[in-house]
Amino acid sequence: MLSLQILINGILLGGLYSCIAVGFSLVWGVLNIINILHGSMIVLGAYAAFFAYSQLGIHPFAFIPIAGLSLFILGYGLQAKIINRVMGAPVLITLTLTFGLNLILDNMMMVAFKADYRKIILDPPLGLLELGSLLIPIDRLYAMVLALGLVGCLYAILRATQIGRAIVAVRMDRDAAALMGVKVKQIYAVTFATGAFMAGAAGCLMSVIFPISPLTSNAFLGKAFVVCVLGGLGSMPGVILGGILLGLLESFGTLWLGPDFSTTIAFVVLLTLLMFRPTGLLGKRGFE
Amino acid sequence: MNALFCSKPAHIVVAVLFLLAFLFFPWVANNYLLRIGTTMLMYSALALSWNFIGGFAGYPSFATAAFFGLGAYVGGILQNKGIPAPLAWLLAGLLVTIFAVVIGRIILHLKGHYFAIASLVIGDVLREIINGMTSLTGGGMGLNLAAQKMGVTEQAQFFYFSMLTVAGLALVTTVLLDRSRLGFGLRCIEQNEDAAVRIGINTDRFKTAAFMLSSTFVGMAGAVYVSWTGYIDPGEAFEVLISVKPIVMTLLGGAGTILGPVYGAFLFLLLEETVWRNFLNIHSGILGLLVVLLILFLPRGILNTNLWSVVEAHARVLRTYFRLLPRFQGINLWAWVVRIIRNIRHQS
Amino acid sequence: MRTQIKNLLRHALQGLMLTTAVVSTSVIAQESVLVGAPLPLTGPLSPEGTKLQRGYDLWVEEVNKAGGIAVGNKKLPVKIIYYDYQSNTPKAVQLAEKLVIDDKVNFLFSPFGSGATKAASAVSEKYGVPTLAPTASSVEVYDRGYKNLFGTFTPNDSLTEPLADLVKSGAPEVKRVAILSRNDLYPLALGQDFEKSAKKRGIEVVYFDKYPIGALDHASAITQIRSSKPDWIVVTGYINDLILIRKQLGDQKVRPVVLTMINGPVYQEFIDATGPLSNNVTTATWWHPAARYTSQDLFKSSENYTKLFKAKYKDDPDFTNATGSAVGVLLQLAIERAGSLDRDKVRASLAAGNFKTFFGPLSFSPEGYANSYIPPIIQVQNGRSAVLYPKAIKSGDFRLGLD
Repeated sequence: MLSLQILINGILLGGLYSCIAVGFSLVWGVLNIINILHGSMIVLGAYAAFFAYSQLGIHPFAFIPIAGLSLFILGYGLQAKIINRVMGAPVLITLTLTFGLNLILDNMMMVAFKADYRKIILDPPLGLLELGSLLIPIDRLYAMVLALGLVGCLYAILRATQIGRAIVAVRMDRDAAALMGVKVKQIYAVTFATGAFMAGAAGCLMSVIFPISPLTSNAFLGKAFVVCVLGGLGSMPGVILGGILLGLLESFGTLWLGPDFSTTIAFVVLLTLLMFRPTGLLGKRGFE
Repeated sequence: MNALFCSKPAHIVVAVLFLLAFLFFPWVANNYLLRIGTTMLMYSALALSWNFIGGFAGYPSFATAAFFGLGAYVGGILQNKGIPAPLAWLLAGLLVTIFAVVIGRIILHLKGHYFAIASLVIGDVLREIINGMTSLTGGGMGLNLAAQKMGVTEQAQFFYFSMLTVAGLALVTTVLLDRSRLGFGLRCIEQNEDAAVRIGINTDRFKTAAFMLSSTFVGMAGAVYVSWTGYIDPGEAFEVLISVKPIVMTLLGGAGTILGPVYGAFLFLLLEETVWRNFLNIHSGILGLLVVLLILFLPRGILNTNLWSVVEAHARVLRTYFRLLPRFQGINLWAWVVRIIRNIRHQS
Repeated sequence: MRTQIKNLLRHALQGLMLTTAVVSTSVIAQESVLVGAPLPLTGPLSPEGTKLQRGYDLWVEEVNKAGGIAVGNKKLPVKIIYYDYQSNTPKAVQLAEKLVIDDKVNFLFSPFGSGATKAASAVSEKYGVPTLAPTASSVEVYDRGYKNLFGTFTPNDSLTEPLADLVKSGAPEVKRVAILSRNDLYPLALGQDFEKSAKKRGIEVVYFDKYPIGALDHASAITQIRSSKPDWIVVTGYINDLILIRKQLGDQKVRPVVLTMINGPVYQEFIDATGPLSNNVTTATWWHPAARYTSQDLFKSSENYTKLFKAKYKDDPDFTNATGSAVGVLLQLAIERAGSLDRDKVRASLAAGNFKTFFGPLSFSPEGYANSYIPPIIQVQNGRSAVLYPKAIKSGDFRLGLD
């Protein structure tokens, strides 16, 4: 019974982790950029949801499209005006650029919101689902379902719409896509913006579950990293698999080694995977 | 490109002046400036070390924090057991180098982003391990060293010279590397690793050597640091900024050059000190802005960029802009500016 | 040629900047009492740093309004020199040294938290500067035999012992306790003291583990706690950890007879973020606005302090604000009693103790920590804090169980 509860904990947590990581994976897979801003964008989305709920009474789950859209615009601007200038530059250049941008965004949020922790308390609370002695918090369940739904939508968009196919084409072969008439720079901007959208949406979900402050952005980023490497880049199912795997690793790690080593387990697995299969479980070869 | 030790006597004179300035600095500076100087030397050592693997070989390593923290803890623990400080520092450097060889085995076959992440994660894993070994390292409660028995000023000078030695060793190693076959091989690897293999360079061995070199002085610097401040805890020993700052400094000064990291360290810390003093609340934002500007406008670093050509390029843009304004057509000042700049460029 | 010019220009620029730096650190003549206070104004500890600063600022304002500190037969105004050590402990140590050497402060206030206080105390001892520690409670901080460190907090077991007593007498059915601590100096030390206090009273410790700093999820640890069926749960950590853990305890329907969390519940931020889940959570703290001490210091009494704080900042003071002001009044009383700014005299005056402050009566052990008052036990009841102990300021009865 204990193990089963831990299993459920892990899966629910994993869903949240997938949600955090999907935007990050998209940007990394298609643009080959490690977007250090990702954690801060999640926090920004979370703050937007918090203020929308406390000042205007809009439910965070309903606020997802709005938060997503605002971050979409922000992301589009960032990519089109700034990051597009260094596309094709070595890894270090783009990494350092997003690092610098992240410092700016983080500082702005600190000044605007202070470091106090905020959390949305839903009124009325969503409560628990009880299956025998197993307990499933409903807010986490909804968050996980919504997260999977968002990932699924993204997957569908990438496969079915024209702009989605263009994104996949750019990812597979940039030059060939350009030859086919795809406006590569614009696609870059759209992809980054989509990653930002997903970050904003994730933020709305996180605000219900975690206490939020600009100080939590690095924690989210760290998880996104691990999920992407575990699941593999350029693959939406990979993100889900990676997320759930990480959730399970941490939960069972707590059971076997105690909570203080649960994060270490994740890192050790990450390192092992990097050694033998850097593209992750479901990743496609080609991007380094 | 690396003008320092060419045969021109002017450069040697400048180099000697530099050295004298560094050596005599402690006697003209008060303790606070001495502390800034020591920090600058420490970061120079870190940047020079990163330059081996990141600048010469082109591998974006984020392992600097791991080496630094490990060196700090080894140095601290040895000193607490009674080993005199300088010996502890050397041993720390040695141990960290061995560690680098082992880790290099594991991660050096990765490339690009994967290598970057792996090297970053090493630091995290080390931190968690050290956090858990509470009886040896103090865990989350930190490691405290017994207070130094020296007088105030002597202590400041002692640590200044210690860091100067570490940084000096790193610099000398850079110079030697630059002129050696190893350095040449690393530059080949940076440009095109497959081609380097084909012309007969043993890339594995060279990369491992670069990675080792990038760890030794960092480990020593970490050990000196813990003696200097008397306290270290896992969060601060392995902080990610310890990996990031040397990278930014080296990029600023020019990766793959000899003095680039030193210039970059100096300039960056000067900027940081000025910004921190004057913009308390937003200093990290301003630092971020500086990093962004650096990447956008000076991506190859100061020593690698022909600065006048950058200025000329921007002046050219302004010239075109002003050409479009009718009333400035007769008197296009910017055309003049561009002409002047071009003259300066072609003269030197 | 160009490189040479570049080098020379660069060094000229550096020289200029260094000279500016030297000139700008001007020496302030001894027309005021200078106190150095390194604070974490940015970085993860910035909320706490800001709270301390508020406490300091209130004291400085009130002191200078009254003309200053009475040193012998004249009054000198007070000036606190702040530096931000960015939540980085080694930087705090270096800034402490800078304050002593360059800014030539007379006295120091320690940086925030047990770790940084301990590290910086080496500087104080080296230069013989009496240093007041507003936020250091773990006895490990004071175990180096230093003579210059004086702390306003009583040791951790002064929190754990009264709580254990309260549980033993008020909830005798409690037989099993589970302890979850953050893997950090103060929370872990506190957790270990809880273990000792519980065992002393025959309460069985069925679970004791630590979670890493920056943990985002505690569900599995809580599942394990649930399976060990404790009657009393103790959680230590910082406010974000406690908010999350409280929520996840609720998610798994963990409802012990007594839930104790330190330090979050004393802050309004915790109550806001947990909402109805904060009900009946117990905690202990070194000072509370409900305190009723009368004092010899310029605030005259705890109530007056609370009033003045509210007038300036529009919020009730919490214990971090109060301890900031407390080290101020403590220093002031010690200087006034010694009649001079001489460090040895002030140190002796501090060591003699027996100060009646709004924070409580302050006297110090030979090691330097306060041992003269009882920290109140608080319970959150319907969104408000009720004091359960000591009897003199009690404002509510101990309630058992969680909803």
